Amino acid sequence: MRTVLLFAAVAGLILGTGFLQSWNSALLILNMGLISAVMALGVNLQWGLAGLFNVGVMGFVALGGLAVVLISMPPVGTAWQAGGGSILLGLVLGAATIVAAVLVWSRTSGKLRGWGTAAVLLIGLVVYRMVLDPAVESVEAVDPALTGYLGGLGLPVLLAWPVGGLLAAGAAYVIGKTALGLRSDYLAIATLGIAEIVIAILKNEDWLARGVKNVIGLPRPVPYEVDLQNDPAFVERAAGFRMDATTASTIYVKIEYGLLFAAVLILLLVLAQLALNSPWGRMMRAIRDNETAARAMGKDVTARHLQVFILGSAICGVAGAMMTTLDGQLTPGSYQPLRYTFLIWVMVIVGGSGNNLGAVLGGFLIWFLWVQVEPMGQLLMSVITAGMADGSWLKAHLMDSVQHMRLLTMGVILLLVLRLNPRGLLPER
Amino acid sequence: MSDNPYQDDRGNKDRSITNPHGQGTLTATGTQDHPMPGHDGPFLIGENMTGGYGKSGPDILHDCTIAVERGEIAVIVGPNGAGKSTAMKAVFGMLDLREGRVMLDGQDITQLTPQARVRHGMGFVPQTSNIFTSMTVEENLEMGAFIREDDFRTTMEQVYELFPILREKRHQAAGELSGGQRQQVAVGRALMTQPKVLMLDEPTAGVSPIVMDELFDRIIEVARTGISILMVEQNARQALEIADKGYVLVQGANGYSGTGKDLLADPDVRRSFLGG
Amino acid sequence: MDFLNGLVALANFVLIPAIAYGSQLALGALGVTLIYGILRFSNFAHGDTMAVGTMFAVLTTWGLQAMGVSLGPFPTALLAIPFGILGATALVLLTDRYVYKFYRAQKAKPVILVIVSMGVMFIYNGLTRIIIGPDDYRFADGERFVISARTFRDMTGLEEGLALRTTQVITVVTAVVVVAALFWFLNKTRTGKSMRAFSDNEDLALLSGINPERVVLVTWLIVASLATVAGVLYGLDKSFKAFTYFQLLLPIFAAAIVGGLGNPLGAIAGGFVIAFSEVGITYAWKKVLTYFMPPALEPDGLVQILSTEYKFAVSFVILVIVLLFRPTGLFRGKSL
Repeated sequence: MRTVLLFAAVAGLILGTGFLQSWNSALLILNMGLISAVMALGVNLQWGLAGLFNVGVMGFVALGGLAVVLISMPPVGTAWQAGGGSILLGLVLGAATIVAAVLVWSRTSGKLRGWGTAAVLLIGLVVYRMVLDPAVESVEAVDPALTGYLGGLGLPVLLAWPVGGLLAAGAAYVIGKTALGLRSDYLAIATLGIAEIVIAILKNEDWLARGVKNVIGLPRPVPYEVDLQNDPAFVERAAGFRMDATTASTIYVKIEYGLLFAAVLILLLVLAQLALNSPWGRMMRAIRDNETAARAMGKDVTARHLQVFILGSAICGVAGAMMTTLDGQLTPGSYQPLRYTFLIWVMVIVGGSGNNLGAVLGGFLIWFLWVQVEPMGQLLMSVITAGMADGSWLKAHLMDSVQHMRLLTMGVILLLVLRLNPRGLLPER
Repeated sequence: MSDNPYQDDRGNKDRSITNPHGQGTLTATGTQDHPMPGHDGPFLIGENMTGGYGKSGPDILHDCTIAVERGEIAVIVGPNGAGKSTAMKAVFGMLDLREGRVMLDGQDITQLTPQARVRHGMGFVPQTSNIFTSMTVEENLEMGAFIREDDFRTTMEQVYELFPILREKRHQAAGELSGGQRQQVAVGRALMTQPKVLMLDEPTAGVSPIVMDELFDRIIEVARTGISILMVEQNARQALEIADKGYVLVQGANGYSGTGKDLLADPDVRRSFLGG
Repeated sequence: MDFLNGLVALANFVLIPAIAYGSQLALGALGVTLIYGILRFSNFAHGDTMAVGTMFAVLTTWGLQAMGVSLGPFPTALLAIPFGILGATALVLLTDRYVYKFYRAQKAKPVILVIVSMGVMFIYNGLTRIIIGPDDYRFADGERFVISARTFRDMTGLEEGLALRTTQVITVVTAVVVVAALFWFLNKTRTGKSMRAFSDNEDLALLSGINPERVVLVTWLIVASLATVAGVLYGLDKSFKAFTYFQLLLPIFAAAIVGGLGNPLGAIAGGFVIAFSEVGITYAWKKVLTYFMPPALEPDGLVQILSTEYKFAVSFVILVIVLLFRPTGLFRGKSL
């Protein structure tokens, strides 16, 4: 009952945006809300079901975004000729170095062990750089204003969504294997670090996804507005709704996106709910509530944690791919931890840790607030500064600060919910 | 899972963000800082105590009475799970008492917090985690004297005289000492407040028989200085031998009580608790 | 001669910057480690606490500059540090009173406090941006160099110059003084010892009559001061920007964990380990190496292992390596 009411309230908020502001902004909030809900679902799986503290959501989201570029953009033939092969070779060599180092470390002992491993790493690094560097240089020299990177595979963009999930899952496997295997967990710092590294790679490896030059004009799974506006049949139907073709086309596109996202969200939500109530879900909760007992019963806690960490991260990757598809561009410079990691946490905590529906609700609600706090703040500030003289220093400063109100508000909301309703809006049970 | 949502950590064991080391577990039940007037009676007495952990927890103690006179040694013995440590914790204010009261030196201290009881002359040595492992022996003693505003060097000197090995190791981290030496540090720390009553929760747990005899000798010495001792012990026979008064607890209630000698001679007690 | 030149170049480009940066990280990590030791959680708001303290100091510096106050060759900001500390302390104590205290009374699990600190992080971050703005501010004034590269070359006749910036000297001197004072406090004073006792064994500290609320209060005072000093030094050395300070969280956490969380000595060692690896791995060694190697072996490339953009990656890799081999950090962590 509470669930229905709260979801209705959030729907009301979004509808209200439609009536009061514009249907375009309402749909934009809805679409990003859907994506946020998917991210929150992923984090909730990790935190709610297994108590894993992932503060690297941003990294997995960005990997999803990378997948969109790698899958959907057409390959840049000249760049591949210039050095594609060498780059692949370089990467293989790099991976081989690490494998070799691990082998040397595990197969030898004594003095040889340390020095041998170091030597393998050093030689490997030199060779890797010798192969990779010139190739990277020549690839990045290929028409740098437009391409300067290898491009993607030119496959349908929707394929990038599961691939984004896979990419994130792969990263999660490596992190989880290291950070969860240690004597005690160090997952938080590991994820915090890896997220920054992913962003650093995206920003700097221009051959991969053009770095800070951004990849724009990503293929879309839905029609382009311009094409719709030039389609007489569409214009006619729009006129039937008494709308001009431009508005109708933007709304139509957003609705199609929304339907796609909603399909993914519903699919994942159903799967998550099924998993939660399956024997697997019961085992995860048993581990969470009493790890010692679960261990005594022969459960491999570390493996289960790794499993759930990979699953949750994969979901974040899917969401990241969806978001980049919606944006139509990959802009590594725009990934910031406050927005892509900690905001998702606010969604999960506010929604209700451990409750999938709660996470979804939190995703919608917090995203709505994130977007709408600014206009609300604007309103508030104009009331506060109404008495001040125009052009006064303080007034200008206060009006300027409105854009930062949302951070403050998110903090206040998180603290209020934690204090007054620590189980969240929709408690686990 | 705990009922308190703030205490639900979802099984998180991430050491890069949380530090469970040395976290407090003490549940104090009292709220007051000052005792109420009581009536005459033994120097320290927990009278007709009935209660358990938490407001709604099941009763562990049933009408249990423990008392000790000035300068005497009282020992609580009994089978596992009889509520020995619980009885001691009740006297120290770490148990929700539903009935009964605790009196010290003619004052009713039932409502006092454990810290306030320390200020009023009770010293408590917990069974485990009873020293500051990362601090030196001397710092441990200093911390014991934390509430004292006066010069505590004489007291420290007395502790060193009582436990000469501690003087030798005074600049060593207490965590590096042997089990018996750690217990000496623990007792020494409690003595630094110059308590009127010293409460020991199984001081000889996990130490060798020789060290145990040595510890008991020291405890007798402490009692001779006029400090009352209330002690929970697993090694019932040895403990009763040095006890002025003994309490045998059975399922949270007084089973037998009497002088140590009487209890040792009592055939029932011998058969049931001392192994014949 | 080549050898000397090489040494000077090494000092100029690697040693001096790394020592200065290491001192800043160490001060930051000390704050994190104190909170971890006493309040038992990792404070995500620490970077932003540094930002808040520095912000107050920057505002005061501007005020002082406007009034024409100056320290001559030293940056005016040194005068402003006490005000920065005051501001940070006030905010942190208010936060403790209205936010953290409640959770202590509830005996909340540390991980809940971590989430709470996320909320505090959002608030501090927003506050900083609202009050001073999100831009990059420079507030260093006074003499820029103790020794400039040119003076050094003229003095010694070497090819390589050794530039020693005033801010670098101030950073190191301040860090040494602050750290010495902190260690004296923790090891020699009654209050300091009571903090260590509380960190080691909360229950026993309580039974010894140590007042937990007082310990927590003193801890916040010290942490706010350390954060402000670290922040101002970092800002003097580089510049002040809210977002940069937030990002310092990762190297600071890494430093604290590498050294052994909860161990002050470890925090300092960790700070320098991270700083030296960051600077060392992202520095182009060509210049230094050409002096040491025979001409035939002179490297062609820049001999830069990773580009500077990857400095976060470095702190992280060092962290993983240390944790793999010494899970408790270089110094055994856990209690102060």
